[in-house]
This record gives sequence, C-alpha cells and structure tokens, in this order.
Amino acid sequence: MRRKRKNTHTPEAHNTSAPYAPAPVVHLEKTPTHIRGLDEILEGGLPRSRTTVVNGASGSGKTLLGLEFLYRGALHGEPGIFIGFEEPPGQIRQNAATLGWDLPALEEQNRLFLLDARLKPETLRSGNFSLKGLLAIAAGKCRTMGARRIVIDALEVALRLFDTPRQVRNELHALNDWLQAAGLTTILTFRPSLRGEASIYEDFFESMGDCIIAMDARVTEQISTRRLRVVKYRGSGFGRNEYPYVISHTGLRMAAITSVGLRHKPLGEKISTGNARMDEILDGGYRRGSCILLAGLPGAGKTTLAATFVASACARGERVLYISFEESDAAMVNNMLSTGVVLQPHIEAGRLAFLTRYPESLGAEEHYFAALERIEAFSPAHVVVDAISACHRMGGKQAAFEYLMRLLNACKERGITIMLLNQITGATSYMEISGNEISSMVDTAIFLHYEFSLGETNRVFQVLKSRGSRHSNQKREFRLTDNGFEVVDVYLGEGDVLTGTARQRQEERDLLESQRLAYEIEMKELELKRLRLIQEQMHKARARRAAMAHPEKPSLFDAPPSPENPRS
Amino acid sequence: MKTHNISSRDDRPGGDHAVYRFRLFVAGDEPNSRKARATLDRLLATHLHGRFELEVVDVFVDYQAAIEHRIIVVPTLLIESPPPPRTIVGSLDDPAPLLTTLGLSNGGQHS
Repeated sequence: MRRKRKNTHTPEAHNTSAPYAPAPVVHLEKTPTHIRGLDEILEGGLPRSRTTVVNGASGSGKTLLGLEFLYRGALHGEPGIFIGFEEPPGQIRQNAATLGWDLPALEEQNRLFLLDARLKPETLRSGNFSLKGLLAIAAGKCRTMGARRIVIDALEVALRLFDTPRQVRNELHALNDWLQAAGLTTILTFRPSLRGEASIYEDFFESMGDCIIAMDARVTEQISTRRLRVVKYRGSGFGRNEYPYVISHTGLRMAAITSVGLRHKPLGEKISTGNARMDEILDGGYRRGSCILLAGLPGAGKTTLAATFVASACARGERVLYISFEESDAAMVNNMLSTGVVLQPHIEAGRLAFLTRYPESLGAEEHYFAALERIEAFSPAHVVVDAISACHRMGGKQAAFEYLMRLLNACKERGITIMLLNQITGATSYMEISGNEISSMVDTAIFLHYEFSLGETNRVFQVLKSRGSRHSNQKREFRLTDNGFEVVDVYLGEGDVLTGTARQRQEERDLLESQRLAYEIEMKELELKRLRLIQEQMHKARARRAAMAHPEKPSLFDAPPSPENPRS
Repeated sequence: MKTHNISSRDDRPGGDHAVYRFRLFVAGDEPNSRKARATLDRLLATHLHGRFELEVVDVFVDYQAAIEHRIIVVPTLLIESPPPPRTIVGSLDDPAPLLTTLGLSNGGQHS
C-alpha cells in the first residue's frame, strides 16, 4: 500500500494538482487527434487529460481510431500506451504496417507501448481479484515514457471477468481515479452488448467519458458505409451530424460537412471550352470554378467535349484530374485520338492525371476520399467526372448523391472547375439531365443528343443553363470530326446553310413545326373564346332564372351578381 | 514487504519428490493479495512440506515482471513447475482449484 502510493506520486504525476472536479469557468483544453477530419468535427480535438469513450460494433474501426490517436500523437511528441484486451500486439503491428505506420520504430524510441492484456486461456479462478496489475503496468510505463495518451481497447472484455455489477463498478472507479490522477488523455473503446444484458455497467461506463463517440458500420446494397457520431462532449461544441469515414491507405479519414456551401469560392473568369464556336455560344466560355454538366445519350459526344476542354486547359499549363468510372485512361486517350484530341503529351507532362475505378469496387465514402486525396496531392485547376450516372453503383441513389455533393463542395471550396458527365437514358426532363438532384449546384448545363432524319443521324446540343452569362439557347448541330468537336449552324449560318440535306430537311421540319405550333395556338385561342362565351351565357341564364323565381329576393343558391364573379 | 520476497525452502531435488515452483503476483498488501498470500503459505506448508520455491512479486514495484508475465489482474499465481505452466487468479478463497491442479486434492483437508 505504502509502496503503491509512493509510486503514483512521483514528480511525473504532477497533473494531479489540476482541479478534476467540474470547472466550468476554465477553458476546456483539447488534444488534437491529428486524425484527418476528426479534429474539425470535435472542434479542436479530444478533451485533454480526460476520458473519451468510443463505442462501436466489431469492424467499425474503433480500435483503429484509438491506435491512430496514439500513432499520430507519438509523431507529434505525445507518447502513448495501448492496452489491448482483444488483439495481440503482433497483429496490431501488422495491421498498422498496412497503413504505412511503423509502430516498432516508435516502440523502440519509447514513444509507443503496446500491452498485450489478453487473459491467458488456461487461467483458473479462485476468489476475488482486481485490475491492479493492469494499473501497475500502465503507471510504471507512463512514468518511464512520459506518456500523455492512453487507449484501453475492448474494455468490456476485461469487465466480463467480474461476476457482479458491483465489482465492475469498483474496477471502473479505480481505473477512472487512476486515469484522472495520471492526467492522461484517454480513449476507452468498447463494443456495446447486442442483447442488452451488460447494460448494468454500460451506463456507468459512458458516464466516465467527457466525450462519447459512436462508430457504426452498415452494409447497404452490399457496400459498407461507415458513420461516426459525437454523442456528447462535455463543455464543448461539436459537429452533430453523422459523419462518414473511411479507412484509407494511410488511416482513418472523415469529412466534416457542417460548412457545406459556406466556403464556396465565387465563380472565376471565363475560360475557353477548347472550341471557339462553343466559346461564342457561351459568351466567352465556361466560368472558372463553376460546375459544368454535360448530359446526353451514350455516344452523344460528352467525352469528346470534355476532352476538348481538358486539352485546352492543359495547353494553358493548367492541371486536370479526370475521374473515370468506366474506361481506363489508356482507352480514353486512344478513343480521343480519333477525334483529334491529343491527351498523351499532357499526361507525360504531368498536367493530366486519371483516377479510374469501377464504381462497385468501393463504397461512396472511399470513392470520395480517394478523389479528395488526389485533388489535394495533385492540385488540379479542373476536375472531370465521367460519368455521374455510374455513381449509383457505389451503393444506391443516396450514396451517389452524397458522393457528388461532397465532391462538388470540395471543388467549389477550392475554386476548382468541376465538369460532370451524365449519361441519360432517353427521357429528357431536366431532372434526369442534371441527375442526382444536384441541379441547383450546376452553373452550366449542356445537353447533347441526336436528331434523326431520313437516313441520317445528326448530333445536336443545346445550352440549357449558363449561370451568370448571356448565352444562346438555340439548338445547334455539331459534328465529331478528325479535328474534334465542330459546331455547325443548324438553321441560320454563314456559308454552309444549305449544304446538308438533313439540315435542309430539318429546317423544313422546323418550319412545319412552327406552323403546327402557330395553328395549335390559334386553336387554343378559339377554344378559349368558345369557353368564355359559354360561361357568359350560363351566367346570364342563371341571373334570368333567379329573377323569374324570386323577383324581390335572390335565391341562396344563386350566386348574387358581384364584381368578383366571372367577368363577361 | 520485500520486492522479491523469495521464500525459498528448497529441499534439494531428492529424486522421488517433484519440485514445485510458484510465482505470486500481488499489489502491495491490498486485501485480496494479502488473503492469497496467507492461503498459499498455509497450503504449501500443509501439503508440500517445504518442497517448493515461491517468489512473491509486487506489481507496483516490479511492473516489468508484470508485463513479462502478462499480469493484468492481481493476485495471480503462476505455477511454473511442474509443467505445464498454469495460472490461477484470485484471492484463493477456495483452495480446491489449486490443490486439484497440483494433484494434491486427496490431502486430508477440504473446504
């Protein structure tokens, strides 16, 4: 007893002098986790020298969160201790190595300690015991390493050793007292019981935490989605949404989306579409930092139009990231060669990069974070997504919507132009053209489709929307030639008006159509006139009837003539 | 209490008698640890008549030994010899598991 006390009161334990009773006036100090995105959600980090409880089912990544907290802490000068009741250290080291974390190096430098706290399987029990062995090890290690952080992983496994709730409470009290005295920033992880049987101590367990984080991994449409939620944070604000997270190749990654839309950069100057005629139609081109939607049937020329833009941007020395969900970069580059758009030199010059993945290969979060990582590493001026219609294959409509919204926000916050290609199926409602309910985010929408005429199929496009600029709504014909995207005047042009039979016919058809429309309008107007006349007659007849039935008193059932009533 | 309280009353392996080697991990003199020690001392005296080695380790003094032997709960008794090594945790209120493990359950007293 005496010795124990002596040991816990060595100079390193000076933190005990801090007031651990609730001190509302004192500004809450925080310890950054250095986990990407998490500190933003936690508005700075975890409560310093206090306990955070992380709960989640197995596979939710709570162990990883604890470990990354220690790993990044160790890299930032805060040594830490990991106590694992479930996983052997060897396995933890291996898992960490796949994320590029060299734990053995940190262990050698005394910046990290992994304690194997699994109970030996052949253990017999007789009488009462406590977790003091664990505390002794933690205290001893804490002293020699100067530890600032501690993670106790799968604590419920240890608590299962105890038979009564009273014992469990005593153990948790002892642990809590020690943690507070040691002044360690703590993460306790536990898996909530499925059957609710262990809820006797879970309440107490959670009451130990000044901050509670719930992690959740769900599988919807065969693709897993992970969500993190801060349930409570004593004395601090925090993001209250459910935040998606992924286990990326360097660790956990999450995105705070509380600030959606607030940090969008204003649209920039006009930049060329890569096609002089198209620039004219769009009154100078696309806007830098805007969202451009190219929608159309398969083969309508979306990719060519996008590639035209890509090539011209790269030629100006700007960087472009091309996210492709269908084609490999090599196939895409090759296909574009046939339309005269040369991309290979730009790839070689490091101005054009591809991110190609099948939508099914990952969940929406992983897709988003993969894109974000490339955007951050590559700093493109423009991003192309080919095609957003494939996004639902990441795990449903909602997943696709979230992916696109996040990606759009990420681009708009950085002033990056984002060009979305959308393959539509035939119907041409604007909703389908924009797809995924993102139409409000779209600044410029161009619709490419076919017009069929006798023996010929002509490509046409139409600018449906172009925010912040004058533009022509006129339908235009275009061709995909050896020299790329070529705009042709459909109805009125200078020089080649009457060259193509199809155009001629189209013009005729248009004339017919306008005649038909004029006729229709005339018919409608006549119909309207007729209806008005009938109404007028009915009104007069009614008034006459009323006057005949009750010469002095108008009937209740007959509307008294009033100025608001149907006008003549 | 000493750091390594080795109560070694070795009988010099005299051929037909097995040598028992124990390591008991305690936490200072907290009740469970005290109880375990007392029970163990009594049982060993009764049944093994000095044919054993016992090392008592206070985890708050030698936490390295606790790490080495993965001592999470105390008291923990390690039976290191005769093989195979076995572990009994707790205050040893019930001596039966220990005696059974050592093959001494016949020894007259029971509780």
